[in-house]
Amino acid sequence: MKNYDIINHVRGESLFIDDINIPDGTLYATVFYSPLAHGKILNLNLNEALSLPGVKEIITYKDIPGENQIGGIIFDEPLLAEEHVHFIGMPVALVIADNELTARNAAKKIKIEIEPYPVITDPREAFKKGDLIVPPETFSCGNTENAWDECDIIIEGECDSGGQEHLYLETQGAIAFPSEGGGLKIISSTQGPTTVQRVAAKVLAMPMNKIEVEVLRLGGGFGGKEDQATPWAVLTALAAMKLNSPVKLILPRHDDMVMTGKRNPYSSDFKIGLKKDGKIIAYEASFYQNAGASADLSTAILDRTLFHCTNSYFIPNVKATGYCCKTNLAPNTAFRGFGGPQGKFVIECAIHKAAECMGLLPSGIQKMNLLKEGDKFPYGQKALHAQAINSWKAAEESFKPDEIRDRINKFNSENKYFKKGFAFMPICFGIAFTNTKMNQANALINIYSDGSVSFSTAAVEMGQGVNAKIREVVSRVFSVSQEKIKNESTNTTRSANTSPTAASSGADLNCNAAYKACKIILDRIKHSALEELNKSDIDKIEIRDETVYYNDIRTNLEWCVLIERTFHKRISLSAHAHYSTPEIFFDKSINKGTPFRYHVYGTSVIEVTVDCLRGIYKIDSVRAVHDFGESLNPVIDLGQAEGAIIQGLGWMTIEEVVHNKDGKLLSDLLSTYKVPDIHFSPEEMEIKFLGIPNPAGIFNSKAIGEPPLMYGIGAYFAIRNALMEFTGSNDFPYSAPITPEKVFLYLNSKKAVFLSDE
Amino acid sequence: MSGNINFILNKELISADLNPATVLLDFIRNKKLTGTKEGCKEGDCGACTVLTGEINSDRDEVIYSAVNSCLIPVQNVNGKHVVTIEGLNLPGKELNPIQQEFVNEGASQCGFCTPGFIVSLTGYFLNKGILNSGNVIDSLDGNICRCTGHNSIIRAAKKISDKFDFAVHSNGTRYKFLSENKIIPEYFLNIKDRLSKLNTFDIKVSSDSGKKSFVSGGTDLFVQRPDEMLNSEIIFLCNDSTLKGIFLNKDVCTIGSLSTVTEILESGIMNDLYPGIINFAGLFGSTPIRNSATLGGNINNASPIGDMTALFLALDSNVILSDSENKRTIPLKNYYRSYKTTERKPDEYMECLNIKLPEGNYYINFEKVSKRTYLDIASVNTAILIFMEKDVIKEIHLSAGGVAPVPLYLAETCEFLKDKKISRENINKALEITQSEISPISDARGSSDYKRMLLNGLIKTHFIKLFPEYFSEGVEL
Repeated sequence: MKNYDIINHVRGESLFIDDINIPDGTLYATVFYSPLAHGKILNLNLNEALSLPGVKEIITYKDIPGENQIGGIIFDEPLLAEEHVHFIGMPVALVIADNELTARNAAKKIKIEIEPYPVITDPREAFKKGDLIVPPETFSCGNTENAWDECDIIIEGECDSGGQEHLYLETQGAIAFPSEGGGLKIISSTQGPTTVQRVAAKVLAMPMNKIEVEVLRLGGGFGGKEDQATPWAVLTALAAMKLNSPVKLILPRHDDMVMTGKRNPYSSDFKIGLKKDGKIIAYEASFYQNAGASADLSTAILDRTLFHCTNSYFIPNVKATGYCCKTNLAPNTAFRGFGGPQGKFVIECAIHKAAECMGLLPSGIQKMNLLKEGDKFPYGQKALHAQAINSWKAAEESFKPDEIRDRINKFNSENKYFKKGFAFMPICFGIAFTNTKMNQANALINIYSDGSVSFSTAAVEMGQGVNAKIREVVSRVFSVSQEKIKNESTNTTRSANTSPTAASSGADLNCNAAYKACKIILDRIKHSALEELNKSDIDKIEIRDETVYYNDIRTNLEWCVLIERTFHKRISLSAHAHYSTPEIFFDKSINKGTPFRYHVYGTSVIEVTVDCLRGIYKIDSVRAVHDFGESLNPVIDLGQAEGAIIQGLGWMTIEEVVHNKDGKLLSDLLSTYKVPDIHFSPEEMEIKFLGIPNPAGIFNSKAIGEPPLMYGIGAYFAIRNALMEFTGSNDFPYSAPITPEKVFLYLNSKKAVFLSDE
Repeated sequence: MSGNINFILNKELISADLNPATVLLDFIRNKKLTGTKEGCKEGDCGACTVLTGEINSDRDEVIYSAVNSCLIPVQNVNGKHVVTIEGLNLPGKELNPIQQEFVNEGASQCGFCTPGFIVSLTGYFLNKGILNSGNVIDSLDGNICRCTGHNSIIRAAKKISDKFDFAVHSNGTRYKFLSENKIIPEYFLNIKDRLSKLNTFDIKVSSDSGKKSFVSGGTDLFVQRPDEMLNSEIIFLCNDSTLKGIFLNKDVCTIGSLSTVTEILESGIMNDLYPGIINFAGLFGSTPIRNSATLGGNINNASPIGDMTALFLALDSNVILSDSENKRTIPLKNYYRSYKTTERKPDEYMECLNIKLPEGNYYINFEKVSKRTYLDIASVNTAILIFMEKDVIKEIHLSAGGVAPVPLYLAETCEFLKDKKISRENINKALEITQSEISPISDARGSSDYKRMLLNGLIKTHFIKLFPEYFSEGVEL
């Protein structure tokens, strides 16, 4: 099971947007953005910039023929600022020149005068001022008010989780080409080609059929190119239209980091009630989500926080409320997990705090409350084929937590300045877009007369291996070798009205669509084979390894011959099919339903060592039993799990998005925003496949993209536990990321750490 | 040869009139060699990694290093062999063993960073067995992959490393061995001959420098102001061979200002003088940065958090400046005036650094804490050189970075500790003095409070690490 894409990657031959051969005369664009986080534009002077040789045009909102509006869920986001600016990095103008350097130099000559308004960066402050993007949303089940009386202990607390920069290695970019008849072709690095098409049509006041969007592959997405690839594609389209010339825009890294949103930071309150033995009776949480300056996808992200607020646990009485708070930061957006990780962090904080107060092991409370078969989630869906307990037990058997505990205790008693800690982290994540109507995809399969096959789907390849999985499905249905199959680019003329490749559902949706299309053609060629063989029973025809079998007996009819003859008989060798996820629904008016096709489960154990002299730490090991279903491609799925885990570890530890009070991003380059490097990787990483088939997945597989990221949350608690070993106290704030600075300052606040007069 | 810049790019001879400050990455990509990617343009991601090779006269061989092409002006590859991923590909669609192992392990997902990793690994295998090359994973410390989390890359790298016995082919046969095993294409075998015929000049820096700016490695200049460099009058020091090399001369060790970080930390002379100094290497930048960044650049860039600067401040070194005619010597600890300002006059350049050879019972240590342990800029760094006579501190030099507008020599702290015994009490008293010497600011690398406390913590760590016997805590560090 090769991943054909990788063969080109390792030779450096895979093309990304910036690598595409473009026509001579292509113009280059640079975005001029607001230098202030909030205010009124008093004056915008373009004269000096326009006078530079080589500058072709500077576009502002006044040049937009259609609507100056790019909001996806809520129409609250202009493409280019009009009277007001709402965050540092908000696009104000687009400079177009005959080369990149000139465009950059010209942008520096634009003068803007802004009357500053007050700046809010903190979601709780926005909440206090009533700056909410939508009214609060509440999910509940049972009755928490009554349930508190049943509890032996009630714990309350507050916790924070930080933002996260996607840091896709390929920055945002697009090229737009005018096409004949007044249309446009846009090559975009987007997870959502239809989104780009729809928004471009709206901004340019054109019908969608005049705009073709093409995606080859992305150099990483992680959610950051779901909605936020759109402005750059639409801006180049606008410029290409206006100047009747191809226009290219690739964001330099710094611009990308300043102008695009990140994972939503959250500040949350929790209240948890338990029986003495650790059984959770009731849970309440309030989530103050930092949405940034406009809605983007934040409202949907907040929904998923509420969906996953109880993680893998059954809690009979729950009330969770989300506040989508408007601040003067770049609009925050989708990031692998889509609000799920933020929700899970809070319940884990609640459980750990309860365990510490009650003198219980956190893992004891976690294990006791895991979802059982048929338990209901707060949104009414039943947990079916629930693997929470299975994965936990498998993790206990494989990783032997008692031995880990003994080993760590021994180490901690022998080392004064180095302390180890560990934590369990179970996960449960629902698969489907929670917005039911988005759960659809389509696929076009062509068999050419020589027997070679191509597929086009709505799926965007961004490293997750979705094309390799579709290829696997096509190969299995036709029983032809993978070498005969080619994936085409993602293109709105071949796959229309698509959902973005997101929500871990790209493979599920598009493999199913491809499967259906293949089945349509397979049926035709089987009938054709029947005719060629002069046989009568269609059920006895089978293709195996590119040869036709009848009644289990190999015939002389080979795939390529059959295809050629079928073509000569004027039978269609192409099919287009549409797939929509069955059995899902959700009633927004009561927040109940069955929004997910199924859930993904798993359990991890994370060990760390903290260097208490320097206040730094190392993740020693991550071990997990993960619920992959029957993997379509174990190499790809393992890679997805590992990559997601490391991103989750990064989010919890060293990845810190820092803004100052003026709303300026301080971590605005790779030199100030640190993602995990090769030395960060744990020495031991062991991912076991739970291996239980998933009847709701294609060929019994399961979605993989997002869920493993949430194992990373365990690192926060493992480090916190190690700090408790050193200081003997448990008041380290529930604040992630747990950076070396926080660790060092905490250690030093506890006691003069060392060389003290003891 | 017609151009001002002559080098070999993969197989092709490049001889062209170029703006010497053109960034190599831009040049390469304009040649439609698009396997080399732009990820950050500041040497922090490694997607643009290429190899540069030059004839090493001692070894009579071409020696290659992995470098960030986004930070190198083309002038600095004049006379060299530049290798991109395209130059490593075998003819046809055949994959070389490194590439094949990446495919097997799924060590590439989106593929954007992948060529950089392949190039870095090739650089490692080219040198394995002849240079002090550390382990294979260390060679990837300058490459960031956001998709895989690096685990599959580690597996692939270890498998290749285990597969071939590179070490036994340490002399003339090495390239043949590598080529036979398809780690490199066959054309590499002729590169030495081709390079030796390249017409490049050894240009001694002349005195008509005027107000031009000097560039050595360029690893910070081309991060800070690449566009500006294109229109600047620049004197490239890289062509002056008199600025290279590390020598012992009577009681002085001289380090040429063009010596790279790699050359210094791997130098036999330096490791004899300061045993263990090579162990600090991992904390300084990344492999490709260390291969390009020079001592002169680091010292004269005057960044308050320069790692080399912190180290050499503690080694009590002297800066030798020259304006091509006259030379003068300034102790490094007196070299920094204010933020990014040194005693150097515009027409002077640093020729070398001189260190008085240490004698007696002495120890060094370097400590650095940053958000990410490797490939990061320090929140705080500090180095110590300490001379002991029995249990008394005879002489001590302490530096501190990230806690003042300039790289700091902690003069008063050192003065206090001189002739004192090592004890908790003395160290704690000294640290109170340290606190009065520093003035950190809050930024993305930490709050000022953090930096204050961290420096104290790291100075204590020096003592605990060097003299565990004095402290009941006795721990392995």
